[in-house]
Amino acid sequence: MNFNDLKINFIRFILSILIIFFLLLSFGINPLDVTNALFIGSFGSFEKIIRTILVWVPISMASIALIYTFSSGMWNIGIEGQIIMGAIGATIIARSFLGDTFISPYIQLFMALAFGGFWGLICAILKVKGGVHEIFSGLGLDFVASGIAIYLIIGPWKRKGIASTSGTEIFHENSWIPTVGNLDFPIFLLIVIILVYVFTFYLLSHTSFGLRLKATGINFFATNKFNFSSERYIIFSFIIAGALAGIAGFSQVSGSYHKLVPTISGGFGFLSILLVLICSRNIFLTFIISFLFAALIVGGSQLQIKLDLDHSLVGIIQASFVLSWLILQRVNLEKKILNIFSKVFTK
Amino acid sequence: MITIENSLITVIALSTPLIIAVLGETISEKSGVINLSAEGTIMICALFAFVFGYLTDIAIVGLIAGMILGSIIAAFLSLCDIKLRMDQIAVGFVLTILCSRLSSYLGQDYVRISGPTLNKMPIPLLSDIPFLGNILFNHSLITYISISLIPLTWLLLNKTTFGLSLRAVGENPNAAKSRGIDVQKIRFIGTLIGGALLGLSGAAFSLYAKYGWSEGHTANYGWIVLAIVIFGGWNPFRAAMGAYAFGLLQVLAIKAQSVTLALSQVLPLLPFPLMIFILIFIQYINRKDSSSVPLIIKSLIGGNQPESLGKKLPKEL
Repeated sequence: MNFNDLKINFIRFILSILIIFFLLLSFGINPLDVTNALFIGSFGSFEKIIRTILVWVPISMASIALIYTFSSGMWNIGIEGQIIMGAIGATIIARSFLGDTFISPYIQLFMALAFGGFWGLICAILKVKGGVHEIFSGLGLDFVASGIAIYLIIGPWKRKGIASTSGTEIFHENSWIPTVGNLDFPIFLLIVIILVYVFTFYLLSHTSFGLRLKATGINFFATNKFNFSSERYIIFSFIIAGALAGIAGFSQVSGSYHKLVPTISGGFGFLSILLVLICSRNIFLTFIISFLFAALIVGGSQLQIKLDLDHSLVGIIQASFVLSWLILQRVNLEKKILNIFSKVFTK
Repeated sequence: MITIENSLITVIALSTPLIIAVLGETISEKSGVINLSAEGTIMICALFAFVFGYLTDIAIVGLIAGMILGSIIAAFLSLCDIKLRMDQIAVGFVLTILCSRLSSYLGQDYVRISGPTLNKMPIPLLSDIPFLGNILFNHSLITYISISLIPLTWLLLNKTTFGLSLRAVGENPNAAKSRGIDVQKIRFIGTLIGGALLGLSGAAFSLYAKYGWSEGHTANYGWIVLAIVIFGGWNPFRAAMGAYAFGLLQVLAIKAQSVTLALSQVLPLLPFPLMIFILIFIQYINRKDSSSVPLIIKSLIGGNQPESLGKKLPKEL
C-alpha cells in the first residue's frame, strides 16, 4: 500500500465515522458517550482486553479465510457453516477419550481444520463441477451445518437428563485452549493467528500461488492462457478458507464457550463478510478493522450498563460503517477532498 | 377430519407471507437482481407495519407502510446497482445485516404488545362450501391477496410487454438494449416491485401470520425465500407450491415436537439442501442433452435461471 492509498483510506475512515456520528445523533444519542462507553467496555481492564482478543481471533481468522475466496473472485457466504463445522470437529475430539489428555487442543485444531476445509470443499465442488452459484450453495450449507449442530446438541450429545438447545456438557479443562497467567491470557490462539497472518501475507504477495489465485479472481477465463486451471485455484481457495474458518470455530468452542452451542458461530462469519467487503485483499487493513469490530462487540455490553442502549446498536454501527465505506469508495469523494486539500496547501 | 382441516388452514395462513415474498423475489431475480436484502427487508418491514398499524390502529395502514419501506430499500439497492455500479450482492448483504439490527434496535418498545390484526373475511357463498370453503375462503384479506398474486405474477411475467422486457433484461441486457428497451429503468422497476412485495410480506408476518413483534421476529425467513425461489425454478406457480410445501413442513415440525425435539428443530431446515439439489439438477439439464430427461421431471424440478442473474450491468448500458 503506497502513501496515497493510505491517505485516501484514512479520509474514507474519518468520513464513515462522521456518517455514523450523524446517524447516532439522529437517534438522539450522543456519539461521544457511545465512543467512550465502547472504549472503556473493550479496553478498560486487562480482563476486557482478553475478552476482546477472544472475539478478535475468530473474526480475524474468518476474515483472512475470506481473503482467499475473495482473491479467487468467490462469495463465500458458506463461511458460517464452515465455522460451525470446525466447532463440531473440535467438539468430537473434546468429547472423545482424548478429551482429558493434554494433547486434546492440538488435535482439536487439526480436526477443526479438516472439518471446515471439507465443508469449504463441498461448496467449491458444487461450484466447479455442479455449476451451482456459490451464494446459494453457501447459504444452503450454512443452514445444513447449523442443522447438524442442533441435531447433535439435542440428540446424541445432549446433557444427561435434559435435551435442550442450550448446549452440550462443558468440556474437560484439558480440552480448553491453553492459556497463561491467572487471567487466562489466550497465548496459543495469539500464536496461531499471528502465524496465519504471516503465512497469508507471504503466500498472497510472495508466491506464484498467490498470483495465480488473484489472476483467477480477475479473469476466470484468461487463466488457461497461462497453463493453469482456474477451477483448481477456486477449489484451493475454498479449502483454505474453510480450514481457517474451522479454526475460528475451534477458537469459539474451546476458547470462549468451552461447549458446543447452536449459535456457536456468533454471527462472526457474516460479520467477516462485511469486513472483507471493505478490506478486500488488504491484510493490514483487515488486522485493524477486525480489531475495531471485535472491540465494538465486546464494548457493546457497556452500552447497556452505562447508557441503557441496546446491544444491537453495535451491529447498526458496523453495518452502516461498511455501507458508507462502500458508497464512498464508489463515489470517490476522498480524491476530491484530497485535491482540495492539496490546492489549499500549495497556495 | 377436523385436525386435517385445521392443519390445512394453518398451512395456508402460515404460507401467506412466504408466498408474497417468494413472488417478489422471483420478479426481482427475473430482472437479473438477486435481492439479498430479503432477510433484512422482511424483518424491518414487519416492524414498521406493526408500528404503523399500532399507532393508527388500522391494519391496512400497516400493510401500506410495509410496502413503502420495502420499495425504499429496494430502490436504494437498485440505485447502488444501476447508478453507482456497486456489487448488488455486497450491497444486499450489508443491507440485510443493517436492517435486521435496526429492527432489533428500533423495535425495543414494541416487543410483545398487542396491536391491530387483519381479521378473517369469509367470502360469502364460497366459504359455505363444505371442507374446501373453510380451507380456501375463510381467511384474511392478505391471504386472498397472496393467492391472487400467484396468477397475477405469472401474467405479468409471461403475458405483458413489461414482463417480456423484464425477462429480456434478466437474460441478456445487451440484447434487450438493442431491441430498444431502457435496461436501467426496467431493472429498477423490477427490483422495486420485488421490494414492495417483500415489504408486504413482512407486514403480513407481523399483522397476520405471526402476530406482533419480538426481536428477530422473522429470522431466517428471508433466506428461506431465496431457497424457495430456486426450488420454484423462477416460476410463480411452482414457487407458490414450494411456499405451501414449506408451510406444511412447519406444521409437521410443530406436530413432531411432541414426538422428538430433534426432528422438529431440523425439519424447517430441509429447504436448504433441497435448494442445492435443485440447482445441481438445473445445471445438469442445461449441460447435458436435455432431451434425455423426461419432460415431467424437467418441468417439476428443472428451471430457467436468468442468464445475467447476480451480474453487474455491462459498462456501456
